[in-house]
Amino acid sequence: MKDIIIMGIETSCDETSVALVKNGKYLLSNIIASQMEIHQRYGGVVPEIASRKHMEFIMITCKEALDKAKITLNDVDGIAVVPGPGLKGSLLVGLSFAKAVAFALDKPLIGVNHIEGHLYANFLNNKKIKPPFISLVVSGGHTSLILAHNIGLYEIIGRTRDDAAGEIFDKIAKYLGFNYPGGPIIEELAKDGKDDAIKFPRPLINSNDFDFSFSGLKTAVIYFLIEKKKSGEQVNINDLCASFQKAIIDSIKYKTLSAAQKYNISSIILGGGVAANESLRKELVKDARKANIKVYYPPKELCTDNAAMIACAGFYKLKTGITDSFNLEVFTE
Amino acid sequence: MNILGIDTTTKVLNIAIVNNSKIVVDCKINKTEKTHSAIILPLLNSILNLTGIELKRIEAIAVSIGPGSFTGLRIGLSTAKGLAFALSIPIIGINSLESYAFEWLNFPGILCPLIKARRGEYYFSLYFNKNNNLNQIRDYQCEKWINIKQELFRYKDNIYVFGYGLIDILQEEKIEELSKINNIFFLKNNQSAANAINVALIGEKRFLEKKCDDIYKLTPFYISKSEAEIKKDRK
Repeated sequence: MKDIIIMGIETSCDETSVALVKNGKYLLSNIIASQMEIHQRYGGVVPEIASRKHMEFIMITCKEALDKAKITLNDVDGIAVVPGPGLKGSLLVGLSFAKAVAFALDKPLIGVNHIEGHLYANFLNNKKIKPPFISLVVSGGHTSLILAHNIGLYEIIGRTRDDAAGEIFDKIAKYLGFNYPGGPIIEELAKDGKDDAIKFPRPLINSNDFDFSFSGLKTAVIYFLIEKKKSGEQVNINDLCASFQKAIIDSIKYKTLSAAQKYNISSIILGGGVAANESLRKELVKDARKANIKVYYPPKELCTDNAAMIACAGFYKLKTGITDSFNLEVFTE
Repeated sequence: MNILGIDTTTKVLNIAIVNNSKIVVDCKINKTEKTHSAIILPLLNSILNLTGIELKRIEAIAVSIGPGSFTGLRIGLSTAKGLAFALSIPIIGINSLESYAFEWLNFPGILCPLIKARRGEYYFSLYFNKNNNLNQIRDYQCEKWINIKQELFRYKDNIYVFGYGLIDILQEEKIEELSKINNIFFLKNNQSAANAINVALIGEKRFLEKKCDDIYKLTPFYISKSEAEIKKDRK
């Protein structure tokens, strides 16, 4: 069978990424131009600046991806790109570029939903995962539970009603005075703390659906810190981080496993920046094993936004016959 | 020799093809519900189908790089870059104000193209037009109309003002006020100022002079900084 090479393009937030993936498994290249340092100066992503940087980086990122994969555009069999959700101006750069390349090459254009893309980070490195599966996409922008009946056939069964899990990590980190993004710092500090030292709430854990809520937890942590400051008591930062992290993990774990059991699904796949959290992975794997459920997660570098996962998703969608026309439009949520 | 011209700097999406300085295609769409990104390639595809011009017969792509709508500029340039890169043909970035000035070469004197920006300001420039040769006498800038007008008063030559957002200026100006300025003329063409034809014609000239742009380095000509940068500068 002839090899199929898909070019993936991802510009939904503040990373300009182009990747080349062969047969949906082999990563030929995955170039990511991060703008994180630029946005750090503003304390968060500035949409207009992000759009300008994507415009600056898109061509060179594309060229580097081809060079690193040691192929030319003529070897590419399809272009996969994210039309959303994300920042409109940012998405438009990647989408317009991708469409023009596909049009000029007369090759298929495949739109891949950003959240859908995160699932496929698991399919790289030659892993064999067959649908149906329950997918948990958990990042700074999303916390969603998705029931994947088949390739391209998804049902969102739960999502956060307020902040995303990664957002809560970053907000608490910011409150504690850590730099953006502070999630990984909290994870590091939590390693030396007792996760049952402080009792924090697990909002919505007893609700009858698969939705999440984290803003109540954020408030509880902040009030806890304010109270301690008032009374002059020392707070063990390690214990605080461990207990806070445990509260998030418990909520995620409980809902994810319940979903798998309710729909009688034996595979769970993780994606998104927070899926890089080791405690989350360990705890979920441990409890899933008891229920005979297998948990898959991507290598850490493929958890955050990247085009490799988009190219991989593009391959499977193309194989299933799902492509898009050139009037594909961006969407923000 | 076919040169494709793209102008997405305003609300109007404009694609043109010129062949040896002759206009083959000039197609404008003024529809606001969809982004230019959703329409531009289906439109180009239809144009190629209808005219029988093959995509591989396009020898260079000229694109308006602004000033203009930030999002519009990026859609035009990303599309032009994708096409030029995949077709391995040169790309030429054309200043939108220059392309507007090109429209009025028959008017000797000072040409003042302008494009409506945000906050009631206009991007503009001044060109001295002698024997159909444009000589830029003022750098591109973004100003309120009242300030641009003050600047125009300094010249004794005939001055021709035209461009995108001219209607707003005409509404702002009192008629009596206007009658006092006897060397300033407002040129209105049909509703849109989008000018892919001139983008393509200037592009053809540059292409023949071998003055094409580096596809990796060509960026939009915004003039204005982003709001976040402006705020940060103020601090």
